This record gives sequence, C-alpha cells and structure tokens, in this order.
Amino acid sequence: MIWAKEETLPRREMEELQLQRLQETVVRVYEKVPAYRAKMDEAGIAPEDIKSLEDLKKLPFTNKKDLRDNYPFGLFTVPKKDLVRIHASSGTTGKPTVVGYTKKDMKTWTECVSRIAAMGGATEEDVAQICFGYGMFTGALGLHYGLENMGATVCPTSSGNTQKQIMYMQDFETTILVATPSYGLHIGEVAHQMGLKPSEDLKVKIGLFGGEGMTEPMREEMYKLWGHDMMVTQNYGMSELIGPGVSGECLELCGMHINEDHFIPEIIDPDTGEVLPPGSKGELVISCVTKEALPLIRYRTRDISRLMYETCKCGRTTVRMENLSGRSDDMLIIRGVNVFPTQIEEVLLKVPEIGAHYEIVVDRKNFLDYMEIKVELADEALLDSYSKLGELEQRIKSNLRVVLGLDATIKLVAPRSLQRFEGKAKRVTDLRKDL
Amino acid sequence: MIKQLSVFVQNEIGSLANVTSVLKDNMINLRAIASFDTPEFAILRIVVDQPEKAKEVLNAGGFAVKVTEAVAVELEDKPGELDGMFRVIADAKLGVNYIYSIVLRNGKVPLMIVNTEDLTKTASVLKEHGYIVAEQEDVNA
Ligand SMILES: [Zn+2]
Repeated sequence: MIWAKEETLPRREMEELQLQRLQETVVRVYEKVPAYRAKMDEAGIAPEDIKSLEDLKKLPFTNKKDLRDNYPFGLFTVPKKDLVRIHASSGTTGKPTVVGYTKKDMKTWTECVSRIAAMGGATEEDVAQICFGYGMFTGALGLHYGLENMGATVCPTSSGNTQKQIMYMQDFETTILVATPSYGLHIGEVAHQMGLKPSEDLKVKIGLFGGEGMTEPMREEMYKLWGHDMMVTQNYGMSELIGPGVSGECLELCGMHINEDHFIPEIIDPDTGEVLPPGSKGELVISCVTKEALPLIRYRTRDISRLMYETCKCGRTTVRMENLSGRSDDMLIIRGVNVFPTQIEEVLLKVPEIGAHYEIVVDRKNFLDYMEIKVELADEALLDSYSKLGELEQRIKSNLRVVLGLDATIKLVAPRSLQRFEGKAKRVTDLRKDL
Repeated sequence: MIKQLSVFVQNEIGSLANVTSVLKDNMINLRAIASFDTPEFAILRIVVDQPEKAKEVLNAGGFAVKVTEAVAVELEDKPGELDGMFRVIADAKLGVNYIYSIVLRNGKVPLMIVNTEDLTKTASVLKEHGYIVAEQEDVNA
C-alpha cells in the first residue's frame, strides 16, 4: 500500500514542491537562526539566490559539530515553548545532540513513519512490537507514533528481557518486529534456544529494522533465523533530521525510498564537498525542507550511499538510496588502507561455518597496525581436527585479504561467547585511539 | 568402537572447568580426557558414559561439540604392547593422528584410544592381529 500521494508524484512536480519548500526553509533559517545567517553571509549567499534546486549546492553544509556548538537549542527556529517534544542522541564525547519538534513537526514525523511502515507492508491489521529502547533515542517513539497512526496495534516492549519479548510475541500474535538488525538476530537466536521455530511458532511476518545499517548477508542471517517468508526490510533516519522516517525499503527490496518532499538528498565527495553526478557513491547529505523547529540544511550524515532515480516497480517515484556501505565516521585506516567494518561483515557472513556475530579489535604493536577479528565457530563438523579449524581460519583470512587488501588475525571463539546487542551493535574497538 | 566427544575450548582460565562442571551437574562420568598445548584454542577429546546426553547438555551450555567413533584397544600392562599395536597400524599403511588412554577400569586392562584417517580399517587390522577393540558398553559401566 502506498501511504501518501506525494510518493508517486511525477519528477517535475516533486522538484517544484521541493524548490518551493527549500526556498521557504532557507528564508526561515536565515531570519531566525544567527548561526545560519553568519554561515550564509560568510559564503556570500542570500535566501533570494536560491532560484532552482541546482542552487542548493551553494549553501553551506551543517555538521554535527554545529549542533554541539549551539547546544542545546541554538539552531532552533522556534522558541522553546513551541516545542512539544525533545529528543537527544548521546555522543561518545562531549555534549549530546539535541533535537526538538513542534506540533506540526510531530505530524510530519508521524506521517513519514507511516509511509515507511506501509512500504514494508504494514497495515492496520498488524500487531507491532517495538523492541527499540524507549527514552531519548528517536527510534522507538518514532515507529510507535507512525504505526499507531496507521491503525496498527502497538506494543511498546522496548529492548531487553528477550525471553519475555518472545513470550509477548507468542501471546499477542505479534506480526511486526521493530528492532535494530543486531537485536533482531539476537531475538531470533534466543527463540531457537527456547526450542521455538519462529517461522512456525510465531506469527511475525514483517521486520522493520533500523537504527543501524543492515548488510545483505545480515538479511540472509535474518531469513535463516526467522524463516524465508518473513519480509525483512530496513529503514533509515537519524535524530538530527527527524528520527526514523527519512527513507525505507518497499517490498521490492531495491533500496530505500526517500521521503523527498520532506528531505532533499545529495551525494557528495566526503573529502572535497563537491556534489557528485547522479548514480555516484559518496556521502549522503540531506536538507530538511518541512521541519519547523530544527530544519537542518545540507546536513552531512557521514553515511555512504548512492541515489537511484529510476522509477521503482512498486509504483513509487521517489528516489531510492542504496544500502549504506558504511559511515565515513566508522572508516578505519589500517596500515594506510581504508577499511569499512561493513566490508568485513560482508565477508564474514558469507562463511557458513561461523556465526553472525563478530568483534573487531584494531591496535598497534611495534608501531604497526594490526587487526584481530573474533568469530564464533558454528560448524561442529570441523572439530575432527586442528587442521580443519586452521583451514577455516586461513580461508576467512584470504577472503578478507581479497576484499580489503589487508591481513587480519582470525580468532575462533566458542558459540554464543561474543557479546549480543539489544540496541545498535558496537563491534569495533580501536585501541589505537587511546595511545 | 566407542564414542568420543570433541569439544571446542578457548585457551582461557577456567575453560576446562566449564566443560567438566556441565558434565558433573548432569551426572555424566568422564572415562578419558585429552587436550594438548595449543596457543589459541583447543579441541578437547573426551570419553564419557553417556555420550549423547553429554553432547546435548554441552550444546545447551554453549559449547560446540562433535560426537565421533573412536577405536579403543585393550592393551596388557607389559613391555612391547604399545609397540605391537603401532606396528600393526603402520604395516597397514595408516597414520596415527593422536592417542590417549583409559587407565582406570576397575581392574580391567587399560584401553588405548587411537585416531587415524581410517578408523574402520584400523579396527579391523587390529582385530585380525588378535587385539580386542572395545565397544561403548565396555566404557559405560
Ligand atoms: Zn519501491
């Protein structure tokens, strides 16, 4: 089901709508936010210079640092009394990033999430269990409002207490699972450990996964645990932009449709800031053109993706963004080679003899970077001999060498011995930062 | 032939105790155990009185376990016995991967567990030469 008529607008009409909304937003931030006015003045650009969508690239970028520098409400275009909701995302260093919503923003957010839920196949018939942690994180309440808005039955179970989650799934006949992909895998594993076969004993038929990227091999793992009939979809968003609701996968599973009437995407070269031609891979930059409280212009998401403008088989005309191929923030530089953890995950999850969980540790020994990857042994048949286990380690190592051009140390560990995550997974530890 | 369990254990303090605790908690009796000096992880070989149950409870405890057959040969406690057995195996052009033994058998002769690339052939050449190859029932009691 296509939730909103804006999702099927002809390209020309979409662009007209985008331009009109962009112009209004630029005027708004220029007038209301001193930090934006200063940046635009410095760049020598005024709101009236935005005459076409092409002119978007003349505007300065907004970075996460701008939000921190203006903590908590410095980039807001409305007084605090107009806010009806505040969320924050915790940073690993310094102050969190604070975002706020007016009444109109809440309506926009809710509608955007209803759209992505509908893309994934949700209807008012569904029972949705929200296994995101509630609280200052936008994921849980975003999906909560969007699903309620479409008439689905929402169970706000939050994250954690996995056995109880599964009990509710059985008792409420939950049909939609909302979780991070890592937690989705963990819930599936625990269900199997409890002696359940999710495809037969549970009614979950749609996964709306988000909060972190899901690679294709991870999706395969999800099918293995939950059954091949499950609709395993992912969606994308970030609290700075609105929360979940920026984009989502339709049933064709060929990229995430961006709610373009609200969010204008660009792809740039992360090093030079140049806008790249359509179809190029680079950093995703998003301008919010309907937000009231916090309409960020050209926000650098640090996520690496690609935009696809061809009309989708599902009938939507909105642009699709490819599965994230990593975050420029997450990129590791090991012995001068750029490595994205997602590349490592792609390799590991294609090796059937090991489990879906892994841990990467990067450190420096004798002034040389080295990378150790812990993986769980899954195939008991290899226990015949040390040489079979040794061959497995060597095979993983050479597969990684082909993709990364680097040697890693592979360490086999016992099944279920690595950490499981109830929210976003943290699988990479870079000990060099502490030096 | 008898049953042997191969258990994946990490080289960490307490990892062997973790295996034996699971067996103890489930009243499973160990007959033989072998592990070697390896840097990263080890394959622990064990013989128990209830191999299927041992695999089930170890799997439930998060261990990777494989149950395989093993050749266990009765050997008298006298010089030359082991040499005789190795000769038979070598003459059959079979290579030995590892051996370990079950010594305490309530007064019965010890058993030598021997692993080669062809267990069936190993068992049959030993039998042809008059050796007694034990069955699982012989280690249960
Ligand atoms: Zn589509």
